[in-house]
Amino acid sequence: MRMSLKVNGQAIETEISPISRLSGFLRDVLGLTGVKEGCCEGECGACTVLLDGQPVDSCLMLAFQATGREITTIEGLCGSGVNDLQQAFLKMGAVQCGYCTPGMVLAAEGLLHANPSPGEAEIRHALAGNICRCTGFETIVQAVATAAAARQGAER
Amino acid sequence: MNALAVSAPVDMAELRATLAAEAGPVHFVAGGTDMLIAGRPLPETGLLIDLARVAGMAFISTDGTDVRIGGATTVAALAADCRLRVRIPALCEAAAQCGSVQIRNRATIGGNIANAAPAADLMPVLVAAGTRLALLKHDGTQYEAALCEYLPNSGHLITEVILPERGLLPRSAFVKLGSRQDMTISRLNLALLAEFQSNHFGVVRVAAGALGPVSSRLHRAEVALAGRKLGAATLRDFIAALIDEVDTAIPGRNSQLHKRRAVAGLGLDLIAQAMGLSPRDRLFEEAAG
Ligand SMILES: Cc1cc2nc3c(=O)[nH]c(=O)nc-3n(C[C@H](O)[C@H](O)[C@H](O)COP(=O)(O)OP(=O)(O)OC[C@H]3O[C@@H](n4cnc5c(N)ncnc54)[C@H](O)[C@@H]3O)c2cc1C
Ligand code: FES
Ligand code: FES
Repeated sequence: MRMSLKVNGQAIETEISPISRLSGFLRDVLGLTGVKEGCCEGECGACTVLLDGQPVDSCLMLAFQATGREITTIEGLCGSGVNDLQQAFLKMGAVQCGYCTPGMVLAAEGLLHANPSPGEAEIRHALAGNICRCTGFETIVQAVATAAAARQGAER
Repeated sequence: MNALAVSAPVDMAELRATLAAEAGPVHFVAGGTDMLIAGRPLPETGLLIDLARVAGMAFISTDGTDVRIGGATTVAALAADCRLRVRIPALCEAAAQCGSVQIRNRATIGGNIANAAPAADLMPVLVAAGTRLALLKHDGTQYEAALCEYLPNSGHLITEVILPERGLLPRSAFVKLGSRQDMTISRLNLALLAEFQSNHFGVVRVAAGALGPVSSRLHRAEVALAGRKLGAATLRDFIAALIDEVDTAIPGRNSQLHKRRAVAGLGLDLIAQAMGLSPRDRLFEEAAG
């Protein structure tokens, strides 16, 4: 079947299988391998993308369900560079193997969009759907808090 | 056999026309958070209809006497709706405790009901509130049924979830116990809806999930509270009744011992939340002690 959607700001019209998952479509058809597949059960959050700005697990959506919607993957967050939140992840040592990082960053972007100055408990709650096997989460929480504070400061 | 076809109607009129035109089997997907879990079989033939884009199926209407919720309303929308929180805080609380942000942004109330998991978190609240469903058959027939009469494998579409005014009692609460704090499937969940005036309970409805194949009312626990003064003696009777309900529901199960202990603490948390009290209030210490 044919479908059209926007991915990372670009309008796309393409042929898809009715039962292909959004995560598989983004990785295998569009080559956006920043989208990771860990469990395909909604447990790990490695496949997190923004759907019209909201974090969702792309493994639990069929690609055709994204018809007419706007998807942001890690590749689309900041063109070819890294944004302030990604910088904060690097600075705080919140990236080790990096497998969870794209999903973690996108879930955190979703949080900061909804709640620009979250407390620690709110950050942990918002990232509860993202599993990191390496860092122990502490540095990730610090990275999100640092980026949030910097963005708030920049606005003042 | 014909391969699976898909359709994503944008409103109820298109959805009805799509159903009427389909001679073969029809399947529905909404958030996909149950249906698309890896390893679960996906339909191979017929028509798969995406409910997530049907405009008339995602709404929360709190202005009338009854509360009406579209079948494809997301759990995130339920958790965030301030007016719904005024009418039935327990439903917002249950929604807020479902899965992760990613899950709540996609999961729907209709999917939570139709998937019929024993631990589904919205179910105890809906059961306690005496919920009715507006349903649509493949042939276009519409009807209403009580939630407890709904057959999940009937293939009938849940278009609306109706919380009747008489079920919307002024105090309500939802608590769950899982293996961790966030993002956890309930090992046990409880909902309470109650009248409460001059420090006395009036009508009380209590329901539990993960104690049997479906969420159900706990009548003995209701009797322990109804008409009685809020105090340690009443709460002790309530806890005894909850333990009795666990013993009757799962006699001899491995989880019986754990759940009869857990239900006592969970029951007190439930009352504390409904009354707006701290679970550390002396009243609860006296009741537990
Ligand atoms: C990681 C993870 C964590 C979870 N945590 C929780 C939790 O804490 N609490 C909880 O209660 N649940 C939880 N769930 C389960 C799930 O998210 C919910 O049951 C959700 O409400 C299902 O809704 P959906 O729209 O995604 O259903 P779908 O997966 O789209 O559909 C499920 C079934 O319902 C049918 N269906 C969907 N909508 C309708 C309708 N309107 N009418 C008739 N049939 C319909 C579909 O055909 C399908 O058979 C979790 C799931 C995952 C993957
Ligand atoms: S791959 Fe999607 S949640 Fe794990
Ligand atoms: S950095 Fe390795 S899983 Fe998170």
